[in-house]
Amino acid sequence: MALFRQTTWLLWKDLLLEMRRRESLVSMFFFAALLLFLFHFAFEFSTERAAEMAPGLLWLASIFTGTLGLTQLFQAERENHCLEALLLSPVDRGALYLSKFAFHLLLMCLMELFTFPLFGVLFNLDFWRLLPSLGLFAFVGTVGFCVLGTLFSAVTLKARARELLLPLILFPLMIPVILATIRGMEIILRTGELEEALPWLRLLIGFDVIFLTAAFLIFEWVIEA
Amino acid sequence: MRVVTRRLSKAYGFLWAVKDASLELHSGERVALFGPNGAGKTTLLKLLSALLSPSSGEIEIDGARLLPGSSGLRSAIGLLSPEGYLYESLTARENLRLFISLYARRREAREVAEALDQVKLSHWAEEYVSSLSTGMKYRLALAKWLLLEPKLLLLDEPYAVLDGAGVDLLEDYLERLCRGGGIVVMATHHVPAALSRCSRAIILDQGRIIFDEPRQEPWESFQRAFAAFLPRGR
Amino acid sequence: MAQIEQKGLGRRILGGLALLFVLLGLYVALVQAPPDAYQGEVQRIMYLHIPSILVAYLSFFIVFVGSCLFLWKREKRDDTLAYAAAETGVLFTGLTIVEGSIWGRPTWGVWWTWDARLTLTAILFLIFVSYLMLRSLIEDEERGALCGAVLGIIGFLDIPLIHMSVYWWRTLHQPPSILRPDKAPWENIHPSMLLALAINLVAFALLYFYLLSLRFRLGEMREELKRIKLYGGP
Repeated sequence: MALFRQTTWLLWKDLLLEMRRRESLVSMFFFAALLLFLFHFAFEFSTERAAEMAPGLLWLASIFTGTLGLTQLFQAERENHCLEALLLSPVDRGALYLSKFAFHLLLMCLMELFTFPLFGVLFNLDFWRLLPSLGLFAFVGTVGFCVLGTLFSAVTLKARARELLLPLILFPLMIPVILATIRGMEIILRTGELEEALPWLRLLIGFDVIFLTAAFLIFEWVIEA
Repeated sequence: MRVVTRRLSKAYGFLWAVKDASLELHSGERVALFGPNGAGKTTLLKLLSALLSPSSGEIEIDGARLLPGSSGLRSAIGLLSPEGYLYESLTARENLRLFISLYARRREAREVAEALDQVKLSHWAEEYVSSLSTGMKYRLALAKWLLLEPKLLLLDEPYAVLDGAGVDLLEDYLERLCRGGGIVVMATHHVPAALSRCSRAIILDQGRIIFDEPRQEPWESFQRAFAAFLPRGR
Repeated sequence: MAQIEQKGLGRRILGGLALLFVLLGLYVALVQAPPDAYQGEVQRIMYLHIPSILVAYLSFFIVFVGSCLFLWKREKRDDTLAYAAAETGVLFTGLTIVEGSIWGRPTWGVWWTWDARLTLTAILFLIFVSYLMLRSLIEDEERGALCGAVLGIIGFLDIPLIHMSVYWWRTLHQPPSILRPDKAPWENIHPSMLLALAINLVAFALLYFYLLSLRFRLGEMREELKRIKLYGGP
């Protein structure tokens, strides 16, 4: 249907632009890696402590890198007033939201696919067997981050000091996602199984569903030339 | 097609950009919009294209109210602006394909090639828009509207950007559009060029319409009446 | 003019009642109610702490209601209410945190602890602050109202989820603190203490609504000024 088609075209456009300009993905990779380096200098690590601190550090690195990515999310539209071109067209505002959400989700997942193994290597953490379940949690958490992140990236599009304002608004609202993802990943690393972490996973999925719906409906009022 | 505005107004903070603009436009009309800088011409164009929502007043197209959500009406409105409205890192052809699909039009590759040919950009089809000059970008935007076939076309300062050949292309297209029942509204500072080609002249000053007359004979007296109302910059 | 005076009168009565109850509440809390068996005199701060946190949550609810109404009807009054409730709310939330801290120092020996209630209050404070920062950093007022409404709604929807996650985090990780965050404090309370609490609750509610009405009036006056500037005359 029309919404799906429009979302796909807009996503294609963003992917094409990203491949050509390489603004976001590469910088996100290197920024995340840099954060991991800084964490090592900041905390004294033994192997046991590394396992304890891994979820928190990994997720924080994701969130900070993701936030930087969010400030760039509508960059292509801001140049040449392309946002006006899109708003002029009959394109459904919801399609614009979904395409930007999907695009940023993809960027963050790619970044995490790179960061998680890197963490394991840098900190000598033997969690390779658990990566799939850790990845599941990270994915559901990243969805939650992108859902509200995309919405508020548009909200702060024309605000002053938007690079500071966006995290100021986003981080308190993200607390359920941050807590659930980190606690869930920690349980997986400690017990080796998904069982105990399920309540946290359910919370994350609930968060994702509620806010994806809410943001999708609200977006049309928020995006404006 | 009939476009009606009733007491259309837009305020920014404590100032009115457009105040109480009431117009009625009909198929085939070519309207020239004049006024000094800051008179509200661009704001009026943006209101007519639903890019801005009015502070008060309303717009009706063929009896249906133009609201931010009216995607059906928006698909028949085009805006040609010197601001570009094209993705710099996409090629000319990719830009056209993108907008064709967003407007839900079916155009074959042949038609796209023809449009590029008409605006003399065939050689630049696979070039990134960032490597085009301003005039070429405007021509590409023109190609876009050739393919999208709007019924209401709004233009902001076209003569400032186009060279002689480009102007001819544009005039050609505008004539065809009007003959086909479309409406053209052009905001410009180039008084002689626009006045001689329009079917109706409107002057805006400080947000208000102070002159709104269809072009009539004798030409000299019309010109005189027009000149009397045209404010000489402030 | 009579209408304005009448409005002012309602506010003045509210203010008078608030003052009365606050004084009464202070007397009952500080003098009349018996000291706590375990915590002694310091426990009296509960009479201020609990009402102020309840009022803070009420305030956010009002932000939510104002935001919903504004998005639905686009009447400026609803936005003024939401903004006023956010400013008043941040005041009471800040007050709650300070009171909680003052309570904590003699009771647990620390100025701050990460127990569920204090943490949740701090998060509420941060959300209020982010709302106020958003409103002040967006220059276009209409857009600011719209964006504020969005944050108000999303924030309110998020609060239950924040509560759940913080409570799970605390109960799965730390032994219950002396203050048993999952048990409402008034379940163990002596009736005379309950009366003191109730009176202070009324006092805080009255004080809150008085301050809210003042701030709301300020917002309305600002809108009136804007209307006068735009339309030239009341």
